[in-house]
Amino acid sequence: MTSKKDVLHVGIDLGTSRSAIAASNGTKHVVESYVGWPLDMVARKIVKKTILFGAEALEARSMLDLHRPLERGLIKQGSAKDEEAVHELLKHLIALAGRQEGQRVEAVVGVPAEALRVSRQHLRGAVKGIADALLIVSEPFAVAYGMDALLHTMVIDIGAGTTDFCVMNGRYPTEEDQRTLTHAGDSIDDQLMKLVKTKAPEGRFSIHMIREWKEKFSFVGDPKQPVVARFPVKGKPADVDITAEMKKACESIVGPIAETMLDLLSKVEPEYQEKVQRNIVLAGGGSQIPGLAAALEKVLLDVGGGRVKAVEDPVFAGANGGLAIAIDAPEGEWEPLGA
Amino acid sequence: MASSGRLKQTLVRDAIRENVDVIEGRLPKGLRRSDRIRRAIFRASVFVIVPLALFLSINALTTGKGERTDVVFVSTPAAVPAPAAAVLHAPKGLEPSLFRLSVRSVVLDPGHGGTDPGATGAGGVREKDVTLDVATRVRALLEEGHLAVSMTRDGDTTLSLKDRVLLANAKRPDVFVSIHVNSLPAVRDKRVVETYVLGTTTDARVQALAGDENRESGYTLADYRRLLEGVLQDARSGESKRLAASVQGGLVTGLKRAVPRLEDHGVKEAPFVVLIATEMPGILAEVSTVSNDDEARRLKDSAYRQTIARALADGILAYAESRNHPPSKRS
Ligand SMILES: [Zn+2]
Repeated sequence: MTSKKDVLHVGIDLGTSRSAIAASNGTKHVVESYVGWPLDMVARKIVKKTILFGAEALEARSMLDLHRPLERGLIKQGSAKDEEAVHELLKHLIALAGRQEGQRVEAVVGVPAEALRVSRQHLRGAVKGIADALLIVSEPFAVAYGMDALLHTMVIDIGAGTTDFCVMNGRYPTEEDQRTLTHAGDSIDDQLMKLVKTKAPEGRFSIHMIREWKEKFSFVGDPKQPVVARFPVKGKPADVDITAEMKKACESIVGPIAETMLDLLSKVEPEYQEKVQRNIVLAGGGSQIPGLAAALEKVLLDVGGGRVKAVEDPVFAGANGGLAIAIDAPEGEWEPLGA
Repeated sequence: MASSGRLKQTLVRDAIRENVDVIEGRLPKGLRRSDRIRRAIFRASVFVIVPLALFLSINALTTGKGERTDVVFVSTPAAVPAPAAAVLHAPKGLEPSLFRLSVRSVVLDPGHGGTDPGATGAGGVREKDVTLDVATRVRALLEEGHLAVSMTRDGDTTLSLKDRVLLANAKRPDVFVSIHVNSLPAVRDKRVVETYVLGTTTDARVQALAGDENRESGYTLADYRRLLEGVLQDARSGESKRLAASVQGGLVTGLKRAVPRLEDHGVKEAPFVVLIATEMPGILAEVSTVSNDDEARRLKDSAYRQTIARALADGILAYAESRNHPPSKRS
């Protein structure tokens, strides 16, 4: 029998772009979801490591076999390397959380709903040997649990690869309570890339610069200030106004998200529909786009109005929720969840 | 507050039950009703379902647990278009003989050519000439054996490895055979034959060889990374190994008579670019050793080149035979 003291509970948010961990010992960490292995012996000598994670891996990418294992919210199936990348990423996160020698680890891992549907077995496989017991839940469920928003709530989790919708109506969400869209952070990046390329055909910029600009300047609706990006054009640094491009790229996700939100609302039992409408929560990195919540509230006016608010801590909302679930799960029930 | 606690308890228990269902191979709750399954199948694109059906039937054949696996796949929705491609990758351990696949066509790739002479040896013998002559002879022998044969080059042409790959992939042959001649200047007395399949190696000599053969690749570093990502544990590797074993056997048997001191270095693995990027089972055969002076001189003799071609062709034909008429275990 293990006493509660010997158990480290962790909640992990395994995301396409970032992965976060919150542990019962109070530690919290976030890493970009990149895993890289040196391409050859020369690269290994230079980076002095056999495996790199997060920003460090991204930095050294020219020398690495770099993986972003949850591209489009899924573990790429059939790719042993991506499964291994997930394994290493989870191992790294748990190491960051400061597991003590001999301490049992019970983990709740929140994943994009799509990964849950398609790659569940792969996920369990990837966690083998890292945690002693593993509970996999959908990311929006973890967020809702962490916020205690389990009744008459809709969580819209805007990640990098997917946007996951989940209606919480006092039961464990089934397939009909959930939806997934591929309109998410990455699709904004793709749009912005195309639009800026059209605006400045001679300009030179990478997808990583595009991502940086989006993190800093994204908005929906009216711009608060002009968005000016600096990048080389014909070899010389130039300041290019990309306000209109940024607006268009960010707004490209509003239509599909609004449509799905209304569709899911229409499936809610009529007596609760209004309550859910007033309780819409935006989570994930995309939730912080200024003007997005207001734009969705505007859409809700057509069905009688509603409230959309973004979570306060989008980076750790999922991990915190996972940790809450891990702590609440009765000790005896972990038994069949051995990993 | 108390009711919130009870709700949480119920939800956590449901989450655990769903996980246990998956572990024990049952359809998770919410997927069990047949109408929902039918709807999911309808939504799943044909790209996902067809290969999966294939996979499941094979899985059922080989492990008898086909019904266990469908839990994971049945609900694949069509909402995400991209994963179809990902799912199409051959599952691990797929046994091609179950398909009764036959071998009808071969692409031969004579190494080097044009501005790239390859390895050179005594008397001015050049790898690019030997590989082209041997390949041409192998082609005739395979055609006698009713295989369709294409060559990546049939003259003294400069081709990057990328060009070779594109040519080979465009022909969609059943197998790919790249022909090379080894050079071992450090051990000039040695006469070696060896056959490579795609893999990694820690052997310094093999690394150097791969470096030499990969030189005119035409691929960028970014391409290379992408190629490596594509190197999955797919159905090709098993087939490539079978082909390699057959070819190496043919070479050793066929050449031992002419060269009694021939060393059989067997089937090895190395990261050759032509084997990474080609889409069919493939091998790279080092059919001779130009750094040995005796061997270099003999390579000038067309009868000896014919002996090499015969040995190589025999290996390929034996492999094709084993695939086209596999020995039946039942009767
Ligand atoms: Zn060569």
